[in-house]
Amino acid sequence: MYKKNEIIDGEVIVYADSKLYSKDSLFKCMYWYGGKFHTNISMYDKSTYRISIKPVNDIEYNSEKLKQLLFQLERDLIDFNLRDIVTKETQNLRDLLVAKAFSNGEFDENPPGEISDPIGFIP
Amino acid sequence: MTKKTRKFRDISNFNLQQNENEYYLLPFKFHRLNNDKEIIVNEVGDYLTLPNGTVEKIIKREINKIKDTDLYGDLISNFFISEEVISPLIDVLATRYRTKKLFLNYFTGLHIFVISLRCEHTCHYCQVSRVTQNKDLYDMSLLNIDKGIDIMFKSPNPHITMEFQGGEALLAFDNIKYAVEKAEKIAQEKGKILSKVICTNLALINEDILEYCKEHDILISTSLDGPKFIHDKNRNKPNASSYDLAINGINLSREKLGFENVSALMTTTKLSLDYPTEIVDEYFNLGFKGIFIRNISPYGFALRSDKSKYETEKFLDFYKKALHRVLDYNFKGHFFTEDLARIFLSKILTPFNVGFVDLQSPAGLINGVIVFNYDGSVYATDESRMLAEQKDYTFKLGTLDDDYDDLFFGEKSQEITEIWANEGLNGCSECAFQQYCGADPVHNYATQGNMYGHRPTSDFCQKNMEIIRYLLELMENNEDIKKIFQGWVKVRS
Repeated sequence: MYKKNEIIDGEVIVYADSKLYSKDSLFKCMYWYGGKFHTNISMYDKSTYRISIKPVNDIEYNSEKLKQLLFQLERDLIDFNLRDIVTKETQNLRDLLVAKAFSNGEFDENPPGEISDPIGFIP
Repeated sequence: MTKKTRKFRDISNFNLQQNENEYYLLPFKFHRLNNDKEIIVNEVGDYLTLPNGTVEKIIKREINKIKDTDLYGDLISNFFISEEVISPLIDVLATRYRTKKLFLNYFTGLHIFVISLRCEHTCHYCQVSRVTQNKDLYDMSLLNIDKGIDIMFKSPNPHITMEFQGGEALLAFDNIKYAVEKAEKIAQEKGKILSKVICTNLALINEDILEYCKEHDILISTSLDGPKFIHDKNRNKPNASSYDLAINGINLSREKLGFENVSALMTTTKLSLDYPTEIVDEYFNLGFKGIFIRNISPYGFALRSDKSKYETEKFLDFYKKALHRVLDYNFKGHFFTEDLARIFLSKILTPFNVGFVDLQSPAGLINGVIVFNYDGSVYATDESRMLAEQKDYTFKLGTLDDDYDDLFFGEKSQEITEIWANEGLNGCSECAFQQYCGADPVHNYATQGNMYGHRPTSDFCQKNMEIIRYLLELMENNEDIKKIFQGWVKVRS
């Protein structure tokens, strides 16, 4: 169910559709807010995450600053979701790459095509 | 039938008709450089700066081969996307990855011998506790020197560096001579290349010592915090000017050993923060080819003294001002580098990594550096033994009486290795600057109480991320600065 993002009593709250946002990406994003904010992730309903942050030192945050914070959180959630997509989509390739890099040649393949020998080095 | 060759083919051989989602992603990470630009970095550190929003388009398969020819070509040629599930050039990428991690090939190179804990200076930020008396208690014994050398030559690294530190190392110069001569003999027998360095404040340097250094190819590394009013304030020597002694020592050492065999390091204190220009000028005027702008290490007296403490943001502001002063000299035609930037730039602009133990992943401790303390204890890094001076033995690997395997591959080493790669750390694992940065479990422990660390509140992370971002932004906005930076990382013969 769609729910508009909001600021209530100094707490910035964002709602995210669980079909679009991965749980991993939410936690990875919240990790970076853990230094200066109280953070919370919960289920608003069956298919919507409720993500909230509240400044530890809320004296520094007036309403304008809270609006900026909401904007930043919305943007960061998208960024971390994109990062999560790349990570998951390329995980196998990354594993293959590292395995090849540290192998002793057992995973190497010959490059495609044939090596021409116009000079005649091959006897 | 036409014989297949690997020569460049005519354009008619290539499929230019492509559906929107006909490319595959290769592993990469991204970061917002500023409000307009974002940067993508692949697994081997190649990067592209792009207008904000481009990453989303790449991931959503909205980059079209025909309409976005240049971008598409850049993404293919820089290993960000591939037209096949497994790029046919994956072996090339793997070789480049291996090159980036080449420092792992050789294992421990730098062996620090804390030859004496005694010192005649009383610097307020000193990272080790200083003691001035009792030679027997605070100098490394000949027996421990023998054991240290024995362990040092068990390293598989063909190039061994033996570095003498203190306290003030020259207070135990006779022991240095003993160690040098013994190590040289064994190096020759084993066919190893041996470099020797004495870290000294130069107060005790004289012609005889330098004659010996020349005869044995020993390099001199000293401390210089800036102009006299900063250096003397930071580095107190009772009844003398530490600055005058250092300058005389630098001049005498250069005269005897040659310019290139004498280096200096500065440490940034609270006082230094107001004088970035003066500090850079001091190094330039003394004829150094560069300066390493170093923040204070969070160890020893540095943590206890209000004269030393400052916030990372203030250091970053100081750093940027100093960097621009360095660049000013380059704009005037001088080759003069800032060496922290140079380390990052080597990682960013070249296929290679840098043997700098503080910025490696896996971390440089143990596999890059090991410390033999004056009392026979063995520590993972120089900073680890400084913690030990505060009675914290977390990074003590054992003693010189232990076996090589127990020290380097024992339980303690294994515990550290679990968290020594930034590829597997929260916050670092998806950081775009991962390949340019490193892991530092000792720093994490000293500043945050555990080896794993917490990136959002880490000064190590805050400092490195901002400096890397700033260097990339400078290169993006100013082609002349980019050329200067490229000049800094060129191999010079």
